[in-house]
Amino acid sequence: MMPTLLLMVRKDLTRKARAPLGLLLVLAFPIMFSAIIGLAFSTSETPRVYLLVENLDGGILGDALLSALGSEQMAQYFQVETVGEDGLERIRRGEGSALLRIPGGFTEDLVKGDPTTLQLIRNPAQGIMPEIAQQLTAVLADVLDSGSRVLRQPLDTLAPLLQKDAPDLDLATFSNITVAVYESLQGAGEFLFPPVIKISSVNLGQDAGLEDESPDTGFNVFQVFLFVFPGVSVYALFMVGDLAMRDILVEGEAGTLQRQIQGPVTPGMVLRAKAAFGASLAMISLLILSVIGGIAASEPVNVPAFLLLSLALVLAVVGTAAAIYGATGNVKRGSVVSSVLYLLLAFAGGSFMDVNALPGALRLVAPFSPFYWGTQGYRRLLEGGVSIADLLPSVAILGTTGMLLLLLGSVSLKRRMSRRGGL
Amino acid sequence: MFQVENLCKSYGEILAVGGISFQVRAGEIFGLLGPNGAGKTTTLSMLSGVLRPDSGRILFEGIDMFVDPIRVKRQLGVVPQEIALYEELSARENLAFWGALHGLKGARLRQAMDHILDRVGLAARSKDPVKNYSGGMKRRLNLALGLVHDPRVVLLDEPTVGIDPQARANILEVIRQVAESGTTVLYTTHYLEEAESLCHRIAIMDQGRILAEGTLDELKRQAGEEEIITIEGSFQVDAIEAGIRQGESLRLLSVEPGRAIISTGGSGEGAVKLLSQLFGTRIPMDRISIRPPSLNSLFLNLTGRELRD
Repeated sequence: MMPTLLLMVRKDLTRKARAPLGLLLVLAFPIMFSAIIGLAFSTSETPRVYLLVENLDGGILGDALLSALGSEQMAQYFQVETVGEDGLERIRRGEGSALLRIPGGFTEDLVKGDPTTLQLIRNPAQGIMPEIAQQLTAVLADVLDSGSRVLRQPLDTLAPLLQKDAPDLDLATFSNITVAVYESLQGAGEFLFPPVIKISSVNLGQDAGLEDESPDTGFNVFQVFLFVFPGVSVYALFMVGDLAMRDILVEGEAGTLQRQIQGPVTPGMVLRAKAAFGASLAMISLLILSVIGGIAASEPVNVPAFLLLSLALVLAVVGTAAAIYGATGNVKRGSVVSSVLYLLLAFAGGSFMDVNALPGALRLVAPFSPFYWGTQGYRRLLEGGVSIADLLPSVAILGTTGMLLLLLGSVSLKRRMSRRGGL
Repeated sequence: MFQVENLCKSYGEILAVGGISFQVRAGEIFGLLGPNGAGKTTTLSMLSGVLRPDSGRILFEGIDMFVDPIRVKRQLGVVPQEIALYEELSARENLAFWGALHGLKGARLRQAMDHILDRVGLAARSKDPVKNYSGGMKRRLNLALGLVHDPRVVLLDEPTVGIDPQARANILEVIRQVAESGTTVLYTTHYLEEAESLCHRIAIMDQGRILAEGTLDELKRQAGEEEIITIEGSFQVDAIEAGIRQGESLRLLSVEPGRAIISTGGSGEGAVKLLSQLFGTRIPMDRISIRPPSLNSLFLNLTGRELRD
């Protein structure tokens, strides 16, 4: 029996090798999908806003604003160029995302507590960039406004000293201003330290230490690729299993299935051979995808745990496809059902996105999808530090589900064969 | 060799095979002749062990097909009506698979493949993918797959359907050679001339039943000496029924507007009598044909329909 089974599997693998397009497309899908998502969502190269600044003020706070826009932190978002009167013309020519005009008397007005206006002229041709410029400039304006209100008393003391003909700063005045600033800050209390205020201090370049406190939320291409790849690969493996098990109905329509049963084999042998073919094809696909994943991975993977999980997944892949084609009994119907079902199970199982990002109801049903256990298992493996015991729930659920579905599908397919003398 | 006893098979309400019995003797070409839908393919599917009958038995040298199917199927070669090949593979790869499935391997398998490829005239193209073959070449390969393991019995289900005369002649020649080498052949067809020229014994099937069985001579004797006269023209059924006086020597087998089939007595007087009757009427006739006794006339006598219907 064994040589007959191997003979049938070899025949199917040869056929697949002669017409590999479908399989190659299925295998290309997770690689392309993960690569595109990786490139699209990695934050290694954030596009920057090209901001032109026309400083008509010439005072200390106008300069401070300019300096804040050019600080190291803001440089992640802004490329700032100081311009003269030609600023507006350059925006018209599309040479910047926006033009920020710091009005004349900006410092004086702010110190006196008089209203003053920062003018931002946006270039709508640059999509989201002017919007970013507006948002960040608004934050800066708020910061300056809040600062001016909180530091009202010391600013009033300081105002005469900022005049061109002001007397020199003596120690007593300096002490008064320092005490006033301290008291103002103490009085402002918690209002000063919520995040908005923190941003202001960073932007004004007054607290370089805050840079380290900001978490690095960026992802490189490989990190995003490795997050997406396991789930999409699990989806692709189910599609491979589908291709293989669909073949039993394709052979039924072509007459070759009936012809095999007319030979010295039983329907059960043909079914076992087709399941073995499906498993072989899934294993080969898994090997290819693992090599790709291995190239992108930075952490070493627990190989025995990987093999165990893969075997369980292959069983689930073959079993699910057998059950679908056993229930539908028709190539077209089966293909439609499997396409829709696999997409739903993949979405619900978090193959295309983080399960935690799913709506609450979907998060509840996720564990009922075999895609969930496969995807979570491989994601954990890629994170590293996972033992076989950690993956046992995934292995047990995938393996048991796979065996039950394979049994169910085989019984159904066998019944169809006996009833109709083929499929 | 094959003994079929009271075989029945229904698909739901439709009776496909209704209690047929026959024997196929070793070394002979046994034909199952009947129109489409007669139950030939269903019978063959049961004989090849693919379809289980509702009742009845199939014995191959005393072994019940459904008690020990693998043992029986090892002796059989089956050529299905529909072309059943792996199109991605070459003829040689197809033959290797089917040969190996029947236990051939190594040099024996290679010899068997070379022999059958030569026999069906595909040796030169044996390494090409089957998808590039013409319809006739596929038919020939379809036949070769059933013969590669040199079976003791070959079951052929209308192997010449839809091919050109040259390919058909080639296939029939191969079947003759196979039979001459001692292989038993069970051949189903709806072509009268194929059954007449090829088969040693013929069973005529219609609507799931065997109507007559025997050698060609025996069947012709059953048909009697009667000639079959077909009249065509622009007439109505009642005009013919009124115009012909049926009796011992004239029998209206079938009639429809514009066409009537009449059986005559064997003496030759029937035809003369009929023609004189017809010429005395005003029945508008365009064409009259007289055919000698044949399997078709027997089928007509038995069913009232021509085999081509």
